[in-house]
Amino acid sequence: MDDERRARFEAAYNRDYGLITAYAARRCDSPQDAADVVAETFTIAWRRVEELPEGAEATPWLYGVARKVLANHFRGDNRRRARTAELDAEMADLYGHSPDTEVELDAIGRAFRSLSEEDRELLSLVAWEGLEREEIATALGLSRNAVRIRLHRARKRLARALARAGEQPDARPGGQAEEQAGAGNPLVPSERSL
Amino acid sequence: MNNRDTMHNTDDTDDTDAIAAIRALARVEPGGRGGEAAGAAGQALLAAITSQEPPQDLPAAARPEIRPARRWLLRRPVLGLAAAVALATGVVAAPIVLRDGAPSSYAVTLDDGTATIEIRDFEDAAGLERRLKELKVPALVDHVPEGMMCREPRGKHVENIPRGLYSLPENIPGESEGWRMRINTRLFGPGQTFVWTISGKGGMTSTYLMEGPVAACEPVAVPTPPVEEPEFRTATVKGRSLQGLRVDEKTVGEVLPELRRRGKKVVFAIISVPPGNPGGFGIERTQKEPVGDGFVVWEAEENAEGVIRLLVTEQRLDRNPVYGGPRDAAFD
Repeated sequence: MDDERRARFEAAYNRDYGLITAYAARRCDSPQDAADVVAETFTIAWRRVEELPEGAEATPWLYGVARKVLANHFRGDNRRRARTAELDAEMADLYGHSPDTEVELDAIGRAFRSLSEEDRELLSLVAWEGLEREEIATALGLSRNAVRIRLHRARKRLARALARAGEQPDARPGGQAEEQAGAGNPLVPSERSL
Repeated sequence: MNNRDTMHNTDDTDDTDAIAAIRALARVEPGGRGGEAAGAAGQALLAAITSQEPPQDLPAAARPEIRPARRWLLRRPVLGLAAAVALATGVVAAPIVLRDGAPSSYAVTLDDGTATIEIRDFEDAAGLERRLKELKVPALVDHVPEGMMCREPRGKHVENIPRGLYSLPENIPGESEGWRMRINTRLFGPGQTFVWTISGKGGMTSTYLMEGPVAACEPVAVPTPPVEEPEFRTATVKGRSLQGLRVDEKTVGEVLPELRRRGKKVVFAIISVPPGNPGGFGIERTQKEPVGDGFVVWEAEENAEGVIRLLVTEQRLDRNPVYGGPRDAAFD
């Protein structure tokens, strides 16, 4: 019984380790935070291996766990993060090239960060992780229909933010149907670079 | 309907442009992988995780807790985990690993103003601090038990840290444990102190540069993330304030009038469930402001002051996440 669970966990781990490390690195300011998120995600997956889906379905499930870990990490850890800011700054060089600092991407980055956290998460799961709607539904614990609607709105809001930033090559009018949806989403300043 | 289809297509064209624009923002390129599971870091993390107690394999009914997997508790990774993963991103995050019986717990050498410190055992923080002082390195070293930290603030943090003041911790060549770092003592300003805290045997270090007087380390517990609020307990079971009242799977609109009639103060905990709703939940936020009447109640809890906390979700779920199924099954 133990062997079967271990095999299932290791299969998911070997397949998804690279994806989860990329997911964490794309969303965390510092390599330490990203490391925490990866370690906690797989630790939880091991503890909950009974619930870990078989095969490829494990991937969106793990994204869902990682997302929760990330949310709690940043909710509960502000103080710790503040305390290690100096060290983090020094390590930033090693963390690699952050394309967001480049001038031509700056406007896109600002437009993206002006969106709500929920919008950013949905859009980045599509743009960065390349997930299908069904996988996003699993990762976020939503129905496929809810994902479709939210994604649609998030994309409209992103297109509008990009148009405002002058980055949208063919900005076109016609997003007015979504205005009421946008009103409920306060602009959330980014607490971390992308 | 045609109109809607057309609209949808148009939107997708817009979307593709927008999505393409943000792809360039990703630190790790879209579709790319951050690390390889087969690599050293990936293997170390896997070994560390699976060397832990294997998860319980009891049928739900035999679990000691009535509520299966009640919270999304996020425990800190165990010894060395964070460090193992940090390697994957190219950084050593300074694990402190105790090596039993090591003859030398630390070694400090000073060469042309640069102190090289090799550490294999942090239990002797005082000795290390003395040695650093002998070498005229103004440093404070404290060791606190795992889960503890020194109460902050201990002094004034130096805002502008000179580049190259200290190196990242790195492995000691030829040794699997312990680590080494370098401090360039010539970059210290007058009155500045290197303040170093190590927690636990497998904990992490924190390092600050401070100026002026630095208070002694007063160990305090590291604040725990606000995921568990044990002061609340199920209110609808025998001997509690709402004994006999069934609130599970009803709407807020159905439950609230009765609670108000009983003069209860009510708060709302909006919960979230893991993908697939396997049983277990996390509290997203708790609020005094009433949620919509259409929210679904899964259980009522009480605290010592008699405040009722309703565990609610906006949408109806396929089963009660608090019990991983019908409440009746949990209580017979």
